[in-house]
Amino acid sequence: MKLIKRNIRIIVLAVLVLLASLVGYGAYSLGSFGNRWFSSSVNTFARQQKNDVIPGRIFDRNGVLLASSDEEGKRYYSNDAAVRSAMVHVVGDSENNVAYGVESFMAQYLYGFSDSFGERLRQAISGVKRRGNDLRISVDASLSRFIARAFPAEKAGAVVVMNYRTGELLNLMSFPLFDPMNIPRNIEADPNKPFWNKATRWLSAPGSAFKVVTLAAALKNIPDAMARTYECTGAYQVGDTVITDAGMASHGTIDLKKAVEVSCNITFAKIALELGDEAMRRASQAFGMDDYFLFTDLVVENSAYPKTNRVSKEVAWTGPGQSALLLTPLHMAMITSAIANDGVMMEPKILLQAISDAGNTIASLSPRAYRYPLQAFEADIIADAMRAVVTRGTATAAAVSGLKVCGKTGSAQVTGQEQTNAWFIGFLDEPDLPFALCVVVEDGGGGGQAAAPLAAKIFNELKKYRY
Amino acid sequence: METDRQRPAERRLVKPVMLFMFSAFVLLGLKDFDWFTFALAVLVPFGIYAATLLLPRLFPADTLLLALVNFLCALGILTLYRTDPARGISQIYNYAIGVGVMVMGILYIRFWQRLKATVPMIAVAAVVFMALPVFFGEERNGAKAWIALFGVSFQPSEIVKLAHLVVLAFLLSRRRVLTSVVFAGISLALLMLQKDLGTALLYYAITLIMVFSATGSLTVLSLGTAGAAAGAVLGYSIFSHVRRRVSIWIDPWIDPRGSGYQIVQSLIAMANGGLWGTGLGLGNAKVIPEYATDFIFSVIINEFGVLFGACVVAVYALIFMRGISIAMRSRSKFHTLLALGCSSFIALQAFVIIGGNIKLIPLTGVTLPFVSYGGTSLISSLGILGLLQGVASVNQEDIKEDQMIALIGEEG
Repeated sequence: MKLIKRNIRIIVLAVLVLLASLVGYGAYSLGSFGNRWFSSSVNTFARQQKNDVIPGRIFDRNGVLLASSDEEGKRYYSNDAAVRSAMVHVVGDSENNVAYGVESFMAQYLYGFSDSFGERLRQAISGVKRRGNDLRISVDASLSRFIARAFPAEKAGAVVVMNYRTGELLNLMSFPLFDPMNIPRNIEADPNKPFWNKATRWLSAPGSAFKVVTLAAALKNIPDAMARTYECTGAYQVGDTVITDAGMASHGTIDLKKAVEVSCNITFAKIALELGDEAMRRASQAFGMDDYFLFTDLVVENSAYPKTNRVSKEVAWTGPGQSALLLTPLHMAMITSAIANDGVMMEPKILLQAISDAGNTIASLSPRAYRYPLQAFEADIIADAMRAVVTRGTATAAAVSGLKVCGKTGSAQVTGQEQTNAWFIGFLDEPDLPFALCVVVEDGGGGGQAAAPLAAKIFNELKKYRY
Repeated sequence: METDRQRPAERRLVKPVMLFMFSAFVLLGLKDFDWFTFALAVLVPFGIYAATLLLPRLFPADTLLLALVNFLCALGILTLYRTDPARGISQIYNYAIGVGVMVMGILYIRFWQRLKATVPMIAVAAVVFMALPVFFGEERNGAKAWIALFGVSFQPSEIVKLAHLVVLAFLLSRRRVLTSVVFAGISLALLMLQKDLGTALLYYAITLIMVFSATGSLTVLSLGTAGAAAGAVLGYSIFSHVRRRVSIWIDPWIDPRGSGYQIVQSLIAMANGGLWGTGLGLGNAKVIPEYATDFIFSVIINEFGVLFGACVVAVYALIFMRGISIAMRSRSKFHTLLALGCSSFIALQAFVIIGGNIKLIPLTGVTLPFVSYGGTSLISSLGILGLLQGVASVNQEDIKEDQMIALIGEEG
């Protein structure tokens, strides 16, 4: 009998652990994914509520009205067609064509699900139809309208502008845009998928813009990385492939800073081979690749570093950012922000404030560090190299007089596409203008020619925004 | 002595539960202004009072355990009545029958000394009963676990649970380990043939727990766990509906309107509920298929909130712990093993279905004990409770006897 009782104690422990795991897992999964489930398009409950509640209004950071509803619940977007088109991917639309816009992902506020009991009671007694919370979001309507005009006509792509100190997104745009109050009939047939928010959902290889990550890997693994020199003869044989540089250039004997400046593929292929796949993976993961992004304000597609068992030519091509790397434009903006922000990557944020019908603030912006991929001195070294890219390297077109612009171009080859995708990542090294951006023009050509000039225009416009 | 000290505990527990049910039914009544619902607002709390505090006067029973179980039963009736009044009412009848079965369970254990000769008969009947669906069963959700008898359709594996627990405890208390394993093996094989894998999993785990407790052999434990793993792999490779369940479990969002619909709606229902719930009668958990049986826990979270759901899990933990303390106090090996098996069965069944609801483990079609809709399920759960109560009453009897002996000793 004594033995039985000892055995029973073991079983009690096991069963109690199982029962506790129910509560633990339930709390974890609802805490992390609850809002995603709630705002999913298959949630009929939220849709039913829309008949009973007048959804709240949405304002941009300066109080410009972006969305409102009449008493019948019909949704109206900005009177200015240019503004409502520019905002369509971040705000979303009432028909839920854009997945995870503010309209759907923040439905818990817009439809008053987060209201306190007192608030609900007060509204129930007052007898009028319930109202949800008004939202103020971090994007700037006038900036977005400016970018919409500056972006190459007829092209697809994305532009993300982020405050690298707080993580606030000042702009989150995907091209082509569309007008939510006047949706073209044949929009579903458009090969560029206008409903798709490319800034957060489109995964691709960023080309040479990824070299900043390779450089970070070198800094972490090679003690005298910046003092070393590399030999670039214009062609470098790896396995059955030859790595070359844009325009078949041959850079001669160069150090790493110079290699960033001129965007030398061969040097970065050599670094990747020297470090090996594992070290490259670790450095990429330090920047959030392979993470399950669970941001409170945004749903972002997860970036991926290629899986293991790769042959050396694939590893070599990872150095200059080709290979099977998958990142979103928003993630590239986050990586840039980490370099700009002394190595601290902030979580991207959209919500500035949610205000209930009674005027209480229900939620407000609380900046949060997401990852610490770099030491401050490493971030400085990379920023220094990125500064040289703009002053005398491949991104001179991104320079703006009077501003310390740092940047890196990328021209990503895509099979079956005539021109390369033009990438530019960059930031302002100015204490009162803490802005980082990522510009992608699909099928746009070289990053230095197609993306950098657009970045210069945006930086110049940002001069006005001393927050 | 012990019981006297504990009496106030269940009295304190019963009153809030009665108040909860009273206000819940009043609220439902106000919603549609239905007089019958108002009548239930009086009848259900009275029923709880009677079943928790008056019933033990007729039959010796552990009142705390009764109070906890009655809370769950009432919660089930309330939730069912709110989603589908007809089911709520029929659950009340099921409950009444179940209480009868519980009393029979208590009596069976109390008169165990005279009735243990029935064990071989029970064992044979259990096997025959379990074999019925294999030949005459009707298929539901991939499993062939139901039979129709005299126009009533039910699940033999639910009723056989009681026999399984009694036979295993009996055999193991006499150290007939091999016989008990063979008996359990036959039941399991028949369950596998019915393709009712959730129930098979439960039977397996309970057998393992009881055999391990009786023998204390780590070999049994490791062999058993290895066997479970092998069984899982085997089930996965043989049954296509198992493969489907597992892939849905891994990512139900691949096809949220098709194969993943149940789980996705279950998760969304819980997310809609949030911490405090949408409020009784204000949720929409009826969009989940099988909301009355497999997914009733999601319905409860939808309307009462996550915190309340955690409390429900805690109630199962309390029932389990109370059952274990009954097992620990009992003086014969048979009673200890039986009480252990009964309390583990309830706790594990709750784990398996709640885990399936929240996507911790793949979904299997077992019911939430005492709460889910279903005659056979509620009756068998209350039957298991009856066996447990039987052991508790034997314990009380033993204590009384000791006191008598002590008294006589003093006088002598």
